[in-house]
Amino acid sequence: MTGLLAQLHYIASVVLVAVGLFVVMDDENLLKKVLGLNVFQTGVFLFFVTVGFRRGGSPPIVTGDGGPYVNPLPQVLVLTAIVVGVSVTAVALALVVRIYREYGTLREDVLREAVADD
Amino acid sequence: MTDLLVALVVLPILASASITFAGWLRERTGWPMAVLALLGQTALAATVTVGVLERGRASHTIGGFVPPYGIEFVADGLSVPFVVLVAGASLAVLAYARETGPHSNPFYALYLLLVAGLTGVCVTGDVFTLYVFLEISGLAAYGLVASASGGDAALAALKYLLVGTVGATFYLLGVGYLYAATGTLNMAALAATLSAESTLTVVAFGCVVLGLAVKMALFPLHVWKPDAYEHAPWAVSVLLAALVSTVAGYALIRLTYGVFTVRFFAANPLVDEVLIAGACVSVLAGGILAFRQQSVSRLFAYSSITQFGLATLGIALGTVPAVVGAAVQLLGHGVMKGGLFAAAGVIETRTRASTVDAYAGRSEDAPFASGALAVIACGLVGIPPTVGFVAKWYLAVGALEADSLFVFGVVLASTFLSLTYFGRLVQRLYVDAPEQTPELERISTGMSGVVIGAAAATVLLGLFGFALASFAQPAVSHLLHP
Amino acid sequence: MTETTSVLPLIAVGASAVAVVPILLSRSRPNLREGWTFAAALVKFGVVLLLVSGVRNGTTYVTPSLQFVPGVELVLRVDALGALFALVASALWLVTCLYSVGYMRGLDEANQTRYFAAFAGSMSATIGVAFAGNLVTVLVAYELLTLATYPLVVHKRTTEARAAGRKYVLYTLAGGLAVFSGTLLVYALTGTTAFTPGGVGDSLSANPVFARAAFALLVGGFGVKAALAPLHGWLPDAMVAPTPVSSLLHAVAVVKSGVFGIARVVLYVYGTDDLTSLGVGMPLAVLAAATMLFAAALALRQTSLKRGLAYSTVSQLSYILLGLAVATPGTIRGALLHFSAHAFMKIALFFCAGLVYVETHVETIADLRGIGRRLPATMTAFAVASAGLVGLPFVAGFVSKWYLLVGLVAAAHPLLAGAMLVAGLLKLLFFWPIVSAAFFPDDASDGARWDRETRQTEADWRLLVPVLLAVAVAVGYGIVPTRFPFFDLADRIVEVAT
Repeated sequence: MTGLLAQLHYIASVVLVAVGLFVVMDDENLLKKVLGLNVFQTGVFLFFVTVGFRRGGSPPIVTGDGGPYVNPLPQVLVLTAIVVGVSVTAVALALVVRIYREYGTLREDVLREAVADD
Repeated sequence: MTDLLVALVVLPILASASITFAGWLRERTGWPMAVLALLGQTALAATVTVGVLERGRASHTIGGFVPPYGIEFVADGLSVPFVVLVAGASLAVLAYARETGPHSNPFYALYLLLVAGLTGVCVTGDVFTLYVFLEISGLAAYGLVASASGGDAALAALKYLLVGTVGATFYLLGVGYLYAATGTLNMAALAATLSAESTLTVVAFGCVVLGLAVKMALFPLHVWKPDAYEHAPWAVSVLLAALVSTVAGYALIRLTYGVFTVRFFAANPLVDEVLIAGACVSVLAGGILAFRQQSVSRLFAYSSITQFGLATLGIALGTVPAVVGAAVQLLGHGVMKGGLFAAAGVIETRTRASTVDAYAGRSEDAPFASGALAVIACGLVGIPPTVGFVAKWYLAVGALEADSLFVFGVVLASTFLSLTYFGRLVQRLYVDAPEQTPELERISTGMSGVVIGAAAATVLLGLFGFALASFAQPAVSHLLHP
Repeated sequence: MTETTSVLPLIAVGASAVAVVPILLSRSRPNLREGWTFAAALVKFGVVLLLVSGVRNGTTYVTPSLQFVPGVELVLRVDALGALFALVASALWLVTCLYSVGYMRGLDEANQTRYFAAFAGSMSATIGVAFAGNLVTVLVAYELLTLATYPLVVHKRTTEARAAGRKYVLYTLAGGLAVFSGTLLVYALTGTTAFTPGGVGDSLSANPVFARAAFALLVGGFGVKAALAPLHGWLPDAMVAPTPVSSLLHAVAVVKSGVFGIARVVLYVYGTDDLTSLGVGMPLAVLAAATMLFAAALALRQTSLKRGLAYSTVSQLSYILLGLAVATPGTIRGALLHFSAHAFMKIALFFCAGLVYVETHVETIADLRGIGRRLPATMTAFAVASAGLVGLPFVAGFVSKWYLLVGLVAAAHPLLAGAMLVAGLLKLLFFWPIVSAAFFPDDASDGARWDRETRQTEADWRLLVPVLLAVAVAVGYGIVPTRFPFFDLADRIVEVAT
C-alpha cells in the first residue's frame, strides 16, 4: 500500500494523460477537445515535477546554508512547457472562435458535413 | 564561425519580431523584410556549410555553460544539408508567395518564426530545446495553415494543432523519461550514459518516436496532413510540404542514432522490427490511399505518407547506406514535394483545376507547370537520373546489406504504387482531351520560376546525388559507429 | 586494343537531346523544325561513323564519368557491340527523318512538334543505351527511353492510344524495376556493374543462387522491351502509334535496346562460360524458341498489317535471343548479324505499311489485294524485304539465319535448329499470301479497283525513297555481307567476348 501511495503522483499523472487523451480523441465538441489537450499536457507536467521532487530540499539558491538543493532543471523544463502549452491553447482558442464565427457550431460531426459540402 | 550557429536561429526570430512591429507602422512591408532576412539566412547557411566542409563537426555552447548542463548547438555533415534546405526553400517560396499568398505582415512574421523553429531543430544538440523548436515551428505552422480565408482552413489548422500538440507532448514525455534516467538533456551525453537494456529507455524511445511520427505523418498518425495541405494557402502548402515533415525526419535520425545509438537496437531487436513494420505499413497504406484521391492536394499528401515511410525504413535498417539513403530521400523529397505543390498551385491559379479529373488536357494551358510536374513525378516514382532514384538505390543497397529481402521488396513495391497514381495524373495532364478552356488567370514569373527550379533541382540533385551523399556520409558513419 | 578518352560518345548521345529545344521553339516554322531534326540526325550519324571506324581499328572510346551512386559511375564507353547498335540506330534514324516528314505531312497530323521533339529525345536515349559502359548507365538510358517514347505511343490521343500507352509504360517501367533489382544484386555480388568482355569473372559463379536470380531479373527486365514471351504484350498494342514510330522505335530502337541489354548481360556481365556453368543459357534458349514459334503463329491470325508485322518482330527478336542464349561463337555471330539485318528489313516492311496507309488509307491485310497495281515499287520492296525475313538468299536475312542455323547444328541443338526452320515456314505462310495477293489477286476486279480509284501510281518520294534505301541496304547486305561494317563488328564482338 505504501508502495502505491509513494507512486501516487505518477499514477495521477498517468490518469491525467489518459483522460486528456481520451477527451481529445473522443469528444465531439471542439472546445472540450482543447480542454482535454490541456489536461493531457498537465499530466505530463505533473510527471516532470514529480521526477524533480526532493524531500526536504531547499530552493536552488546558494546561501551557504547547505542542505540538499532541489535540481532547478525539471522546474525550468516544466515552466517552458507550460508557456508552450499556453501559447498552443491561445492559438487553439483563437481558431475555435473563428470556426464558431464561420460555421455557428462547435460540434465536430456537424462541421465534418459542413466542410464536405463546401 | 560557431557563433553563426546561434545566428541561424536568432536572425529569423529577430526578423519576425521586426516584421510584426513594422506592420504596426506600415502595411505590406512583410515581404521585402522577409526576403532580406532569408537572404541573410541563406548566406549564413552557406557559410556554415563551408565551415563544416573544411573543419568537420562544429559546436557552440550557449552562454559558455558546458554540457551536460548547458545547451549546445551542433552542425555536422548530416544537419547542414537540412539547414540549407530550410533556408533555400523558404527563400524560394517567397517568390511564390508574392503573387498568391497572404500579404499581411503577421503572415510573414509567422513565416519567419517557422524558419527559426525548423532551423533550430536542425542545429540543436539538446533534446529539450528540440522540443521547444519543434513547438515553435508547429505553432507557426498552425497559424500559417489558418491564414487562408474560410472556415475550412481554420478547421484544418485546429485538427493539425490537436494532433500535432499531442505528438509533441508525447515527445516531451519521452524527454522526461530520458532525463529521469540519466540526469542530462544533452544528446552526446545521453548517448554515453543511456542504458540500452532498461525498460525506461525503451518506453522513452517509444514516446519520442511516436511524437516525431506524428510530425512526419506516418500512418496512422497522418490524419492532419491531407486536410492541412488541402486547405492552406498554396505558398503555405509548398513550404510545409517541403520542410516540416522533412525536418522531423532529420530529428528522428538524430535521436535514434545520436541519442539512443545502435546499441539500443542491438539490445532491443524487437523495437527495430516494430519500427520497420510500421514503416512498411506507411509505405503501402500511403500508396493505396493515394490512388483513390480525386483532390490533387490530398493525393500529394498521401504520397508523402509513402515517402516518409521509405525514409523511416532507411532509418530503421541501421546500415550506413540505408541511413544515408534516408537522408537523401528526406532532402530530395522535400524539394520534390514542394515543387509538386508549387506546380499544382500554378495550375489551380491559372485554370481553376484542382482535381485529377479537372486536370484533363491542362498541359496546354500551363506548359511549364505541367512539365515540371511530370519531371518531379518521375523523381517521386524513382526513375533515373532523378534524386528519387538515388535515394531508392541507397535504400535498396541498405536493405540488401541488412539481409532484408522483405524491405527490398517494399522499396520496389513503392515505386510501382507511386507509378499508378502519378502516371494517371501525368496522363490526364498531357494525353486526355480538355473539357472546356476556362478563363486563364495570370501567374507571376516568380511562381513559374519556383516550379521550374524545383524540377531542375530534382534532376540536378539526382545527377550530383553522390556528392550530397558523400557530404553526409562521414557524419552518418560517425553516428552509427562511434 | 587501345582505349582513348573522347567526347565523341557524348556528342553522339547528346546531339539530338540538344536539338529538342530548337525543335520546340520552331513550332511555327515546320521546315526549320524539320531542319533541326535532320541536322541532329546527320551529326549523330557522322559521329557514329567516326566512332565505328575507330572501333574497327581496335580503339575503344570512353568519356569521363560522373560518380552517380556509390561505387558506380555514369560512363559512356564505345566498344564493338555499342558501335553496332549505334550504327544501325543512327543510320535508320536519318532515313526515318525523311520518312516522318512525308508521313506526317501526308496525313496532315496534329502535334507534329511534339512528335519530332519526342523522337529526338528517344534517339538520344537509344544511343545512350548503346554507349552505356555499365549496368547503371544502361538502366538510366533505358528508363529515359521509356519516358521519351511514351508521348509517341499516345500521339493520337484516342482511347485506344491511351490504353496502349498505359500498358506500355506499366510493362516497361516494371521491366526497369527488374533491371534495377538485378543490377543491385550483381553489384552486391561482385562490387561492380561495369561491362567486361567475357564476363565479370568468378564472383558471379561463386554465388549460384543469387547469380541465377540476378540473371532472371536482368533478362526479364530487358526482356520486356525485347518482347520475350510472355512479356511481349505491349508491342502489338503499341502499333496504334504513327507508323514511323512503329518502324523505327518499335522495330529497331526500343526493342533492340532490350535485346542489346540481354546481349550485354550475356556477353559482358555473365560471359558464355558462366552461362553454361550456371545453367541459365538453356532455359532462355527454350523460351526464345517458344516465343519464335508462338509469335510467328499468332501473326497468321492478325487482320491488321501492322499488328501482323509486330508479331513478326516479336518472333524475329527471339532469333537473336536464341543465338545469344546458346552462346557459342557461331550462334552469337549469327545473332549479332541478325540484329542489324532484321532492323533494315523490318523497317522497310513497316515503312511500306505506313506508305500504303498514307496513300490509300488501307490498314488491313485483306484490303491489300491487288494493290500492286497502285504501288508497284512499294510492294516489290515489301516482297524483297519479306523474302529476307523468311530467309531466302540474296537478302540480309539469309546471311544471319544461315550462321544461326549452322551454329545451332554445330552446337548439337537439332531441336532448336528445327524450331528455327518451322518458324521460317510460318513466316512464309504469313508473307507469301500478302505479296501474292498484292500482285496477283484471285479476283481480277481487285486489281482493277485500284486502277479505277486513282490515276497515279506510286507514292510520295519522301515515303518511297526511305523504303528503297532500306531494302537496298538489306539486299546489299545479303549479297556482299562482308563489305558492310556490321560483319566486321560482329566478328570483333565474338572474338572479344567468347
